[in-house]
Amino acid sequence: MRRLKSATDLERVRQEILAKRDPNKPCVTICSGTGCHAYGSEKVYAAFVKEIQGNGLQEKVDIRRTGCHGFCERGTLVVIFPEETCYLNVRPEDILEIVSTTLIQKKVVDRLLYVDGNGKKVVHEGEIPFYKHQSRIVFGNNRLIDPKRIEDYIAVGGYTALAKALLEMTPEQVLNEVIRANLRGRGGGGFPTGIKWETTRNAPGEIKYVIVNADEGDPGAYMDRSLLEGNPHSVLEGLIIGAYAIGSHEGFVYVRQEYPLAVENLNIALEQARERGLLGTDILSSGFSFDVEVHRGAGAFVSGESSALMAAIEGRVGEPRPKYIRTAVSGIWERPSNLNNVETWATVPLIINRGSEWFTGIGTERSKGTKIFSLVGKVKNTGLVEVPMGMTLREVIYDIGSGIPNGKRFKAVQTGGPSGGCIPESFLDLPVDFDKLTKAGSMMGSGGMIVMDEDTCMVDVARYFIDFLSQESCGKCVPCREGLRQMLKILNNICTGKGKEGDIELLEELSEVMRDASLCALGTTAPNPVLSTIKYFRDEYEAHIKERRCPAKLCRELITYYILPDKCQGCTVCVRNCPTGAISGGKSLIHVIDQEKCSKCGACFEVCPPIFNAVVKLSGEPVPASVPSGIKVTHKR
Amino acid sequence: MGKERSKSKFVGLRVSEEQSQVLSRLQQNSNLSKSGILLRGLELLSEYYSLGLDQPPLNLELRNLEAEAMRHAQALRQIRKRGEAIGQMVQELSNVDKIIDKHQANKSTLIQILLDIQAQNHWLPKPALTWVSERLGVSWSEIYHIATFYKAFSLTPRGRHTVQACLGTACQVRGAPRLLEKVMDVLKIKPGETDHDQRFTLTTVNCLGCCALGPVIVVDGEYYSKSTVKELERIAAACE
Repeated sequence: MRRLKSATDLERVRQEILAKRDPNKPCVTICSGTGCHAYGSEKVYAAFVKEIQGNGLQEKVDIRRTGCHGFCERGTLVVIFPEETCYLNVRPEDILEIVSTTLIQKKVVDRLLYVDGNGKKVVHEGEIPFYKHQSRIVFGNNRLIDPKRIEDYIAVGGYTALAKALLEMTPEQVLNEVIRANLRGRGGGGFPTGIKWETTRNAPGEIKYVIVNADEGDPGAYMDRSLLEGNPHSVLEGLIIGAYAIGSHEGFVYVRQEYPLAVENLNIALEQARERGLLGTDILSSGFSFDVEVHRGAGAFVSGESSALMAAIEGRVGEPRPKYIRTAVSGIWERPSNLNNVETWATVPLIINRGSEWFTGIGTERSKGTKIFSLVGKVKNTGLVEVPMGMTLREVIYDIGSGIPNGKRFKAVQTGGPSGGCIPESFLDLPVDFDKLTKAGSMMGSGGMIVMDEDTCMVDVARYFIDFLSQESCGKCVPCREGLRQMLKILNNICTGKGKEGDIELLEELSEVMRDASLCALGTTAPNPVLSTIKYFRDEYEAHIKERRCPAKLCRELITYYILPDKCQGCTVCVRNCPTGAISGGKSLIHVIDQEKCSKCGACFEVCPPIFNAVVKLSGEPVPASVPSGIKVTHKR
Repeated sequence: MGKERSKSKFVGLRVSEEQSQVLSRLQQNSNLSKSGILLRGLELLSEYYSLGLDQPPLNLELRNLEAEAMRHAQALRQIRKRGEAIGQMVQELSNVDKIIDKHQANKSTLIQILLDIQAQNHWLPKPALTWVSERLGVSWSEIYHIATFYKAFSLTPRGRHTVQACLGTACQVRGAPRLLEKVMDVLKIKPGETDHDQRFTLTTVNCLGCCALGPVIVVDGEYYSKSTVKELERIAAACE
């Protein structure tokens, strides 16, 4: 592979790559992101290879495995260029038909297309409502690129921002451009990136470090993973530009070992960039040298905190330290170290290429650009969505996410991961940006957006997050370690019907102490899930405590299963599935649950045929006296 | 420094002259090198742990060395295929050596080294850790701190098949706790446990990044969505 020595060199290589490609030659792209991989995208790929070879089309059709496209709900996703025909839910058995119909006869396979609410079929990817309402400026290239091939990235204009920064701009100009763009950290806090860079740049010391934080630990958020897996060069390009602006010659990528594909693709990207002279000594003959080392995290949520992450890079236990001196000034081996999140780094090349003015034209007054959210939970279209800052929650959840499945009612959306909070229905028209979310008692965090419906118990959600955090607390400082333990105890009590008057106030008091006195952000933000649910769903807490009732009918100790005698058809399916043998009644006899024996596992509720709907959950109300056993079903459906 | 205070050093432990003599005696009995005695002993101890036998916690304080070494030697005599066991351990240690070499025996790569050992063995055997401690000059306490702090590490052997149940928020609101219960019922083990014939290890994870399939479990890298008890039984039966 040839080393690139100038911007013209880069452009020439790009033209060469493009010249080799026939824009009219069909290209089958198969999403191989985590979601589609779980659906079996590898088998789909193998089937395509086999079928295309079987038809002797290997010279006439390209096949490309790309990173995550985002529409995870409908994986495996297949997009066929140049027409951009988008097939959803593709399974290996569909490939025969796709190859013969679409690739040979040039017709569309109707049954694999997206069908909108009115029954209309949508052929092109960009016209599917899920994609139509997004602005995929950072994430959009994923679908065009094979992450294992640097040529694909160069073909879409990759590394032109790097060439521009290194060869046409001074480090100060790069820095000022990022400051003017008002780019804020995508990892959680929303600290202005440019200001952080400036601090590290101006900090005393010859050796400085730049670091990519890919220790994405928030449960329910996976955009960093998809970027790193699907477009590693964009992150790398941003990192090199940042290093140039800061004056750093050594960088680290801290990535979770739970993301093996991200580690693999990143290492390939680094190798290819080195071969091309885009990384290493004298990058693009600019005189600037920089190299990167990959560090795998071993699985600790708290290690995503800056000082903890840097301790881990040094080979020590990833525990935070008090930050009287910021890591930007004294980080790895007490040297100035600038840490930014994956998405933040990937945004940098766009700002350099298109300018800060373009960037500040997107978003709200104090939050610029776009943000990738992982829209998950009780929502029809699960997936990764990139939208401009300021889009309302309603637009994200209903226009892009298509609302709540199974005709259920929306209850809340949880943003910001374990440090965030739950936002109720009354805030659906809230424009999503850093400050508005914080004001609503939640936060942007890394961009998890977990939708909850009426079946979700908000006390249980708070308990879930506190349980998660108490396991992940490193235990170094008392307020966080003991505070979480006590909070979890209280919440467990409330969820199991042992709540006491005054528990809510006690939770609030504990929250206050943790907020004020914890060492790092894990502890200071840990009360958010509790406080926000108390703030917006206090009635649910009170129902649990005062009436021993779970309004969502979820908390096991507070519910009872009951078979409605007038609906039971005596089909025995629940009898057969009950693990404790608590249900009596034979064929065509009304089934009765023995409440003494019932373990409340819910198996009967799950298996009762929906057309009967005979098993119900009761909470906070007396269980009707059971009918004597042996009564025949009289009202057959 | 007086002669009686001089200390010889091996496998990361400083032992006194007197204790060295004890080890020499053991050496004659077992035809093993001194370090071999200790390492094999440590390995046995860790195996005892994994079987759940009530062994006192490993204590490497000098005053306990003699009693400990005696006990190990006792155990050693009961091993029938001694040569084979030693050979296997030497192989294991040389594998660890290679990993350490790959990272240039650099202290700052300790976590990376442990990750590689974990990936190779699916757990961190004690002899391997002893070797790491010896070669990097890192104390046992530091290695233990790291090995117990991070979730990726296991100090007990894992089963032949790993079952991961996702408890990420998206799976949680879609009924992951109920699915986990079913898995526990089918496998008869709790999260973090390995069954007696070391067939399965069950762990929980916080988000696998395939929220659309939730609640999801992963068995040996294969994803299963919204499984019923019958499906789980079938999946388990397919695992040897």
